[in-house]
Amino acid sequence: MDTEKFLSIFKDIDSAALLEIGIVIVLSWVVIWCSQKLLPMLADHFHGKQRLFVLALIPTVRVVVLIAAIVWVIPLIIEPSARNMVAIIGAAGLAIGFALKDYVSSVVAGVVAVYEVPYRPGDWICVEGTYGEVKHIGMRAVEIVTPDDTVVFIPHMKLWSALIHNANNGGPSLMCVADFYLHPEHDANQVKHLLEDVALTSPYVQLAKPIVVVSNEEPWGTHYKLKAYPIDPRQQFQFLTDLTARGKSCLRALPVSFARLSPEHAAQLNP
Amino acid sequence: MAPHNHWQLIALDDFERPSAPASTMVQKTWLRLQNMLGLTRDEDATPEEQDFPHYREFDLEPGVAAVEQAWEDSDSAPSVRFVVSPPFSGSGAILRAWAKKHGYQQLDLPDKEQLQSAETQSWWKPQQCERWLLDEFSSFWLRTTSHMQFIRALLPRLLRGELGQGVVVVDSWTFAFLQRAWPLSLPHCYCFAAATPELLRQVGIEASDKVLRKLNAKARGNVAVALALWALEQESERTSPQMPSEADDGTAFILYALLLHHGLKGEHLQLVLPMLAPDQLDVQLLRLQQNGVIEFDDDNVWRVTVYAYVDVRDFLAGRGYWLDAF
Repeated sequence: MDTEKFLSIFKDIDSAALLEIGIVIVLSWVVIWCSQKLLPMLADHFHGKQRLFVLALIPTVRVVVLIAAIVWVIPLIIEPSARNMVAIIGAAGLAIGFALKDYVSSVVAGVVAVYEVPYRPGDWICVEGTYGEVKHIGMRAVEIVTPDDTVVFIPHMKLWSALIHNANNGGPSLMCVADFYLHPEHDANQVKHLLEDVALTSPYVQLAKPIVVVSNEEPWGTHYKLKAYPIDPRQQFQFLTDLTARGKSCLRALPVSFARLSPEHAAQLNP
Repeated sequence: MAPHNHWQLIALDDFERPSAPASTMVQKTWLRLQNMLGLTRDEDATPEEQDFPHYREFDLEPGVAAVEQAWEDSDSAPSVRFVVSPPFSGSGAILRAWAKKHGYQQLDLPDKEQLQSAETQSWWKPQQCERWLLDEFSSFWLRTTSHMQFIRALLPRLLRGELGQGVVVVDSWTFAFLQRAWPLSLPHCYCFAAATPELLRQVGIEASDKVLRKLNAKARGNVAVALALWALEQESERTSPQMPSEADDGTAFILYALLLHHGLKGEHLQLVLPMLAPDQLDVQLLRLQQNGVIEFDDDNVWRVTVYAYVDVRDFLAGRGYWLDAF
């Protein structure tokens, strides 16, 4: 295709068309910016499902606005015939293939993420060992904040290859697991019932969800896992602290001894 | 009195809450929106304005008559009956009056040692009787692991009939918690039917049917709450108590604990909420008191005020708490 033919795809852009394109871009940017500022503020006034629903609107609004803007602008620049579209897509594909492969892969994965929803704002996810709350889903990357208040940007293209662990999957239910390592000489049923009551009497516990205690015998003693749900996923660390503090105090009062783990056993538990 | 008595004691499963008219729903949504946008006036919550009008207490006798009517066939009475009482509903006072009239002995509450050791026999033996009333089931125990053991030891004994024939009055919030804490559903549960415009007239509120239906829906069919809201409405210069704008997780823990235990002393609150430092707890309590949401009564017990109850319930509902059924 020679240069003249390629240029014939494009319309003659007059000042009115330029102005229209400018207005569409500015308006789209304003709507997206407002949605990214106002919806999180609105979400802060809600809890549980309502909060997560409002947060999930942010990427949806962005995609809708972007698609609308593209649909509006393209006919102003090119003649939208099948032949022209094939030519444009071919040229764009060539550029993407060589220069912007990863960027476009992330952008496409970002669009897929809006529909497949492997994560939404407010979800607690773990990607390649990094755990945190999804704060913002951008065009190219998802922004999460770890429990240590560090912001981590994860490109959407991880969707294609990495395992995405989502702890609450768009809902307010997030299971917390408190570990207790006990000396083997004790009444297991008594400990199980006590740990269930520890969770039941925690102010953080979501009473609508189950409380489960599982145990596992190890060479050094017995490993108990107390599984329960906090009322709000954001309370998970305070909830675990409360379970651990009160659990230890109740077990001592029973009395039950705690296991003394050798360094190699401790290393196995915390690889 | 009987033909005009609108009090009714019914089986708990038959309870139906009055539905809210559309206008009430719209008003509620608007108020919530105002709260979110910070358009509510904080200066309303000044100490001088916390002197809310006292709602007129209602006559207990029609309530007692309703209990008598529901339980008139005493030959077929089960060993123990539970009366589930929404906060401020007056069920405890009505049942105490009924028990006095029918020779039911009011049981003393277990002491700290008996609760800690889950020793039900040493509590029961000194006051053993044939017919009894346990009217403060919500307030004698705390939400701690040791006290849970006492409750779990007591409930099966009650249901097996080992303690004779009795009536237990339990707050609706405690009842909801027990349903989760103890897997067996309790039999023979009763409650007073939700208020109707006729009942509100019977307790002294004079207004049109439309106004009464609206008031009743706002009060969730609770007579005392309706009386309190009505008293507030009659004094136009007063505003209802409002949740503090700083309300957070700690506020929710305190309010839930107060409702679960029908009010608590400061030291008992500290026991059930050990993760709140004493100074944090004091700040929260004083802030809630300044806003008229809770009060400190003559027995040194913190309680949710009747005027704030509906807002407190909405606040806890919004945070996903396990609520009562009323």
